[in-house]
Amino acid sequence: MSDPITLALVAMSLPLVACVLATVLALRKGPAAKFAHVPLVLACGTAAVLGIVVLTKVAAADSQNHRFISDPMTWFAAGHLKVSFQIVVDPISAVMLAMVTFISTWIALFASGYMHGEKGYARFFAVMSLFVFSMCGLILANNFLLLVAFWEGVGVCSYLLVGYYFEKPSAAAAARKAFLVTRLGDVGFILGIFLLWKMGGWNTSLTALFDYLTKTPPDHYELTAACLLLFCGAVGKSAQFPLYVWLPDAMEGPTPVSALIHAATMVTAGVYLLARCAPLFAMCPEAQITVAWVGGITAILAAFIGLAQHDLKRVLAYSTVSQLGYMFMALGTGGAISPVFAVTAAMFHLFTHAFFKALLFLSAGSVMHAMGGVIDMRRFGGLRKLLPVTHLTFLCGAASLAALPLFSGFWSKDMVLESLEFAAEGEKYTGGYFVLLLVGLVTAFMTAFYTFRAYLLTFWGPERIPEEAGHHAHESPARMTVPLMVLAVGAVAVGIAIEPFNHKFSHFLNDAPTLQQAFAASKAPEPPPHKFNWTLAGVGTAASLFGLSLALVMYRNGTEKLPALVEPVFAASRNKLYVDEIYGAAFVKPGGVLAFLSAAFDGFLDAVARLISAVPRVLGWWVRPVQNGLVQFYALSMALGLTVLLSFVAFRIAR
Amino acid sequence: MNPLSDPQLQHTFTGVFRLVAPEIALVGTACVVFLFGSAFNRRWIWFTVSLLGVIAAMVLAGTVRTPMPEVLTAAPIVPDAAANFLRWVALISAAVLLFLTWPEATRGHAAEYYGSLLVAVAGVSLTGRANDLVSLFLALELISIPTYILLYLPSRSRPSQEAAAKYFLLSVLSSAVLLFGFSYLYGLTGSTNLSVITDALTKANAEALSPMALVGIVLVVAGIGFKITAVPFHFYAPDVYEGGPAGVVAMLAVLPKVAGFAALARLLGLVGADARHLPFDTATQLPLLLWILAILTMTVGNVLALLQDNVRRMLAYSGVAHGGYMLMGVVVACSLPEAAGTVIKLEGAPKVIGPTVGGIDALLVYLVAYALMTFGAFAVILYLSTPAREVGAIDDLAGLGKTHPISAGAMTVFLLSLIGLPLTAGFAGKLLLFIGTFTAPADTAAMRNLYRLLAVVAAVNSAVGAYYYLRVVGVMYLRTALTPIVGSRAVPTLMASVALAGATVFFGIYPQPLLTAARRAAPVPELPVPAVADAK
Repeated sequence: MSDPITLALVAMSLPLVACVLATVLALRKGPAAKFAHVPLVLACGTAAVLGIVVLTKVAAADSQNHRFISDPMTWFAAGHLKVSFQIVVDPISAVMLAMVTFISTWIALFASGYMHGEKGYARFFAVMSLFVFSMCGLILANNFLLLVAFWEGVGVCSYLLVGYYFEKPSAAAAARKAFLVTRLGDVGFILGIFLLWKMGGWNTSLTALFDYLTKTPPDHYELTAACLLLFCGAVGKSAQFPLYVWLPDAMEGPTPVSALIHAATMVTAGVYLLARCAPLFAMCPEAQITVAWVGGITAILAAFIGLAQHDLKRVLAYSTVSQLGYMFMALGTGGAISPVFAVTAAMFHLFTHAFFKALLFLSAGSVMHAMGGVIDMRRFGGLRKLLPVTHLTFLCGAASLAALPLFSGFWSKDMVLESLEFAAEGEKYTGGYFVLLLVGLVTAFMTAFYTFRAYLLTFWGPERIPEEAGHHAHESPARMTVPLMVLAVGAVAVGIAIEPFNHKFSHFLNDAPTLQQAFAASKAPEPPPHKFNWTLAGVGTAASLFGLSLALVMYRNGTEKLPALVEPVFAASRNKLYVDEIYGAAFVKPGGVLAFLSAAFDGFLDAVARLISAVPRVLGWWVRPVQNGLVQFYALSMALGLTVLLSFVAFRIAR
Repeated sequence: MNPLSDPQLQHTFTGVFRLVAPEIALVGTACVVFLFGSAFNRRWIWFTVSLLGVIAAMVLAGTVRTPMPEVLTAAPIVPDAAANFLRWVALISAAVLLFLTWPEATRGHAAEYYGSLLVAVAGVSLTGRANDLVSLFLALELISIPTYILLYLPSRSRPSQEAAAKYFLLSVLSSAVLLFGFSYLYGLTGSTNLSVITDALTKANAEALSPMALVGIVLVVAGIGFKITAVPFHFYAPDVYEGGPAGVVAMLAVLPKVAGFAALARLLGLVGADARHLPFDTATQLPLLLWILAILTMTVGNVLALLQDNVRRMLAYSGVAHGGYMLMGVVVACSLPEAAGTVIKLEGAPKVIGPTVGGIDALLVYLVAYALMTFGAFAVILYLSTPAREVGAIDDLAGLGKTHPISAGAMTVFLLSLIGLPLTAGFAGKLLLFIGTFTAPADTAAMRNLYRLLAVVAAVNSAVGAYYYLRVVGVMYLRTALTPIVGSRAVPTLMASVALAGATVFFGIYPQPLLTAARRAAPVPELPVPAVADAK
């Protein structure tokens, strides 16, 4: 009962049970629907406890074996293709499981307050339970196709959640956009899986595939192609350039959904996928530098767009895209440096990011709750007196996101920069990694600037409240503020508690068998003993503080008055660098022309198809009189049929 | 020595009873039901007794050990894996049918109804294990004769009587043709035992083609063609399905087809025999004949189903089409002697990867899927029919999505499964059949690329089929009824349809147990490593 596999399975299935219960409540439509959040909160809470138990058990396992794989249960098999239901618990998946369930618990609790009185309250929690379940399945799956199943499950749930207010056209459109854009990446993902299946001795099991491929190295270019295809899936799901456009639009969903999607789940799936597949990526430096560059471009681009947004949630959304870019930059260094260090840096940033980004979104949700649904920063300000708890927790999150020293975000961002710095001193692509390091520093500056711009515009200056809030704008109830406080503690302290002094996190991940495998496959030098790099930390801190002070100078009044000099820059940022317009001109317009042509062609084909489809009918009308209801005729037909069969045989043999 | 005093032979004969214990239980229960039925004709009594009989048969089937007979060439019954698979199909069908037909087995003839049902099921089970022309014919008649009674029993209306008469006459005709074919086989080999016949014909065929054997087997195929509704032996189906009572039609649509395919596979030597030595392989032209029959059957069935406005007639023609799909499995199985297999070299010794689907295993899976969805569709029709208003025309189902959401949902599942959409049992079955046909050894003298062509024709047919099934779904959900259906409120029937829908979805999502069972019943033949094993 207490082995990690069973515990993980129980933790994974609890949200499913919650989903069933919530669905029942949603269908019953009674007063009971008010309690639809109870199953999810309980399930996530229990799952989080179990996740932490699993974590300790994996940590306590003897040093040789940090991986637990369940007995495979065949899901389906056809020919060479055999797909089994199998889960794996190793340090990477254990960390993710504990983190996802823990964060989800608090978000669920927050949502029970935030969504209070909404239409479809039970539906919301049913889908959210399914979302958590899919995410847990995605984390634990030890089979590529099983992983895809859960991966798509996450996609469907996010579609349902982003489109929660489906009566609002913009929400429906955003949901569709999120689903379709991520599908674009999924095409590559599935192609990559089948390429790997073919190369990897017809295995779809992750562990078996890695064992096979590291033992019998395949064609280098083929493997690179497979890695890049897998990365396509990650680009879609984790909203990287050029497919990041769906994520800001996904803010149309209820705020807890934004927190869930952008902090704990979904977008981290791509990072997690690459971390799991580290043994493959470690073998292809070309794929790795691509990953790093995509991450770098995304990081700086999203940070730039985030500078001037008016919508508080959109600022946070772009910051998420940007931070995910950091994670991919770190992942992309694996191979040039020890993949163990690269993955640890990415996972550590993912881990701390989950805390402070969930916190920031939930705080923004709390603001939105008080402001009657208004989220435009131009319409409110000076809320620090009105919302004291939200103010303080938001400040914690902002400081962490801006990577101010000693906050969680500082340590993880430092580790990411450090991995880039190591890679710049390596052998291959040193120049590229050095440019990426500079990109990371510039992004750090911009991050600090836009984070504190948002903070100051919201909480400082004269108090302004939009009329939608009415006269009763007030601090949120306890079930919303308690999650804020818990997450705030995490955003402040979780980083310092587990990494910089005791290296618990990196030691724990270090034991992951896939990472050791990746290290063995990468031919990277043994990493030097970990030392705190004062120079790099100093430069990083200077960049953050510069951004922070610039924001303080410009927004000390809590209002936006731009000097004429920076106005064009801000206009470019506000208009998202015209990326949507460029996409529109480059893809959507030609797409429209193409669609028109296709429609014309389709009409032609349709006519042909109609003609063809008329054939069976004509044939039928022609044959139908045979079925005339006379039994003697039927008997005659049977006898004639027999005669024809016999003469056929006679004819064929005689020939 | 007198062969009759051979102890092994004696043992083979006396051991027969052991091998058919569940069937004896079924027929015994039926006798009790018939005998006392005239005294107390209460539905619930005989329902319970019959159900107990089926359960007893299941217990016997699960517990009685059935060793293979020592002298296979004398054994009238063989308890091989395929036989056991079919027995379980028959027994589970019996249990389903008992629930399903609840509203039809009304007071006055409940006993006869249930009794006939049990006998027919025993016949199906026996067909699966018959190893002798005599026991095979007996088993097939054991299905036909109760069916005549069942068709006549429940309603005394004119269309129903007409249906019963038609079925009777044509069935007798087909039995005669079948017997005629059997007499050829007996005359050629001097034995009624199937093992002897198969061996003798295989040996004879290795030297020269035997035209008389072919004539015999063509007659047999024609006789069985009636049971599996192969064109042109299908004419009875639409008329009988339309006029007959829905519960009986459900039985009639499934049980004879299961038995027919079982008999066909046995007679062609496709079950249990060595796949590389068949009495009728592709060199004999018989597979080509079956190929033509398959294409003709699925195409005529689908084309005519397109034109129907009556649900039952539509289902009848769709049943014809599905018979054609299932014939694909038989065609593929006949092709296996030609299978060469590809040699792949993983780590270690070279391995031969033969065809992934053996044909008969796909057929068995499809039979189960077909049984699920056909029983289900007729269960819904039966549930919605009342004596005052029978469900006939497709338009009768209008607005069902609103008035009877459960029935409409179940019906949708069955129709989607009949189309063969993923996540339904019909998809799993169709996929296997298609894979089998597509990977069948292609380049033989007689068949050339015809297998691929068959797969393509079948795919086109499935696409055509989607049209008329989806039309019903559309009527159920998008239209509103002028006079809504009341429904019979027969809870057992509803239970049966829901359970069948559940099973359809379950085997669609997780077909592995079914595949494993079918594979065990009809293993894909192992191929030897060819002498010239190419290294790359």
